[in-house]
Amino acid sequence: MTALLELKSVTKAYRGVPAVSDISVEVHAGEVLAILGENGAGKSTLTKIMAGVVEPTKGEVLLEGKPVRMANPEAALDLGIAMVFQETSLVPSMTVGQNLFLGDEKTFNRLRGVSIASQQFLQSLNFNVDPTALVSTLGVAKKQMVEIARAVRKNVRLIIFDEPTASLTPEEKQHFFALVGRLKARGIAIVFISHALEEALMLADRIMIMRDGLHVVTGPSRDFDRDSIIRSMVGRTMTDTLYGQKAGQRRRGAKILSVENLSLGKIVRNTSFSIYAGQITGMFGLIGSGRTETAKIIAGVLKRNFFHGGTIRLEGRPVRYRVPRPAVNDGIVYVTEDRKVEGFFEQLSITDNLRIGHLASKWSSRLIVKPSEIVPLAEHWRKALQIRAINGDTHVVELSGGNQQKVVIAKSLLQKPKLVIFDEPTRGVDVGAIAEIHALIKQLAEDGLAVIVISSYLPEVLNLSDRILVFRQGRVVEEFSPQGADEETIMYASVH
Amino acid sequence: METVTAPGASKVSVKITQEWIVFALAVVIFALFSLILRGFATVDNMLALVRNVSILGILSVGMALSILGRGIDLSIVATMAVSVAWMILMLGEGVAPPTAFALALAFVVLVGAANGFLVAYVEIPAVFTTLAMGGLVYGLGRFAMISVDIVNLPPGQDWLRGFGSGTLAGIPAPVIVFAVVCVVAYLFLSYAKAGRFVYALGDNPAAARISGVPVRPLIVLQYVIAALIAFCAGLVMTANVDSMNTRIVNSTLVYDVILVVVLGGIGLGGGKGGIRNVVVGTLLIGILLNGMTIMNIPFLMQNIIKGIILLAAIVADTLLNPRDEQTSQQGDI
Repeated sequence: MTALLELKSVTKAYRGVPAVSDISVEVHAGEVLAILGENGAGKSTLTKIMAGVVEPTKGEVLLEGKPVRMANPEAALDLGIAMVFQETSLVPSMTVGQNLFLGDEKTFNRLRGVSIASQQFLQSLNFNVDPTALVSTLGVAKKQMVEIARAVRKNVRLIIFDEPTASLTPEEKQHFFALVGRLKARGIAIVFISHALEEALMLADRIMIMRDGLHVVTGPSRDFDRDSIIRSMVGRTMTDTLYGQKAGQRRRGAKILSVENLSLGKIVRNTSFSIYAGQITGMFGLIGSGRTETAKIIAGVLKRNFFHGGTIRLEGRPVRYRVPRPAVNDGIVYVTEDRKVEGFFEQLSITDNLRIGHLASKWSSRLIVKPSEIVPLAEHWRKALQIRAINGDTHVVELSGGNQQKVVIAKSLLQKPKLVIFDEPTRGVDVGAIAEIHALIKQLAEDGLAVIVISSYLPEVLNLSDRILVFRQGRVVEEFSPQGADEETIMYASVH
Repeated sequence: METVTAPGASKVSVKITQEWIVFALAVVIFALFSLILRGFATVDNMLALVRNVSILGILSVGMALSILGRGIDLSIVATMAVSVAWMILMLGEGVAPPTAFALALAFVVLVGAANGFLVAYVEIPAVFTTLAMGGLVYGLGRFAMISVDIVNLPPGQDWLRGFGSGTLAGIPAPVIVFAVVCVVAYLFLSYAKAGRFVYALGDNPAAARISGVPVRPLIVLQYVIAALIAFCAGLVMTANVDSMNTRIVNSTLVYDVILVVVLGGIGLGGGKGGIRNVVVGTLLIGILLNGMTIMNIPFLMQNIIKGIILLAAIVADTLLNPRDEQTSQQGDI
């Protein structure tokens, strides 16, 4: 049986530097192929070659045994290959139906007709989306469904996903898995990139692992387990699996922060808790449970309700921040979950990124600064956090996700905080860097800082935290110690 | 870009930046004009050229500062014309020069602060705020402060005339003022804390805010500085021609200023570029405008040429610094 799509020793180089080299892979109709690897392993480039977003420098692309040339994504779509990006390409101000028929409308186009046709089509796929709803009102998962439906409507035979479940809640993930099953049943081939190894093991028929732009191994997913995948991805045996052990209880220090009856609209409702120095407080909750917003209020990024907003005491002193600056001066820093949007400065170098953090803190009191005075400090942090770059002049946008995250963390830590809030510290970070960031977070707590870690990934919460606060519908509903809890009890508390 | 990063070993290799292309282009056009245009390479014309270039350049520095901080100031020409016209009107009515100067300066700071307040605290986009502010300042100035279009510089007032006709070691005063403004702006951007923050603000306002940068006061400061620089340009302009024509607000001067800034290579998205970009942009546009005037190219034709150059500059910027989603995600290849 000829493969639906075959890449024959393709190489793609950017400015002479190969992002992928000499990769051969086949995709068959009706199968699910997962591509795994650390950030920078070349997964995205490989899928972009498949989808015609980039053209290979060397090598051949065969569709059903015939060589094809795909100059752009439109050409690939005509051949039946679609790529679903994380940022969807839907028009937010149009309805689901209009989006499905976009570029394909009849001359006399009736919204009602479009809606009815879309309804029938969505039902045939068993997708539960209202065709008359505006796309802007949909959640991420529903948008993804619409995007997939649009691809299916154009009779595609291969759909490529880049991190399809990264921004989905657990329920939405279940929907997505079911959906992949249905697509498979229709004989559509699926290729996806993921950082969630369990998902890949569960969902994929075959797994392909890449490292540093090279092909490491491809095989049926039943031949792999978590450890063997990680071994192939990082090329070394991890002494302890990343999330294997639970945190040893660190001794609870002084009470740094006490939050009473905190409220913000309908997002944070009347929640109370305390944070202690010298230990890591894990915050777990589903998307929309108000954990990020609570953290942002503490750090002054968001403002709580003016009336009945509750009180926050920092070391016994009531505080109310309107902007993050006074919070930073008081020693509260927030490491964002979305580093591209509110984390780093992409046109500035690593050193300059760190410099901004230093200058914005109270430790830099003078109005005039010497460009050179930051250099030793920046070098120190670059070494301490093992930020891998040629030198401090490297622009942050050129770094891998893990190194970008380390820059954002270093920028906050050199402000010498008392309380550090990590929001999803390892999102979009490769496996090797995850271990380093975890070790760093633990070290901070052992050095006596108060640390809050917000995470959607239960093993991470269990591994890091000395106590776990579970958020549901805008408030802390339960507190666990990692010894007294497992994934199921925590998940149970967060959904009921 | 080089002004942003500390000098490092990896920067030694000369990259073909927009700044170098524009500089080379300016040199080529200068040589070309000198060869083919009679009256271009004369002492008189060179003096006229550097004077005009200086005013354009000073205004461009103010514009560049606001664009670097992810803003834009379309009201600089109105601020310049009205504040200086008001000042020399007061001088003509016998107000003591220090008082007139201080009042005009206060007016300028007020306009800049109003711009900054509306952009930073009321969160109106800078384009609309400063466009409206320009109209307001001009209208208010002509309605309530200045009764004629053209205000002449009264006799005496040599301190002010010195800005135009004076020389220092043979260098005309306008050039010196331009150089001083450039050096001060360069020092501000490189060595002042607020200057470093301007780059952070232009690059990523949300990240700057979370890092503890006082974003709103910084925006106000940025527009106050832009207005002060405009005032400075106004002083030079008045000293050059012994008067201030408030109708300049309705000319294409503000677009020439944007042309200089964009052509020099300061990204309209903010956070990218430096004073060197302003200097090379000023040189090219100044030479071009002067040459076109000597060639007697009609005003409308000049606009066509300037429009084409601006478009070409933006296209070149896009080609040199591709910013689409695919290439901006180099981290995850």
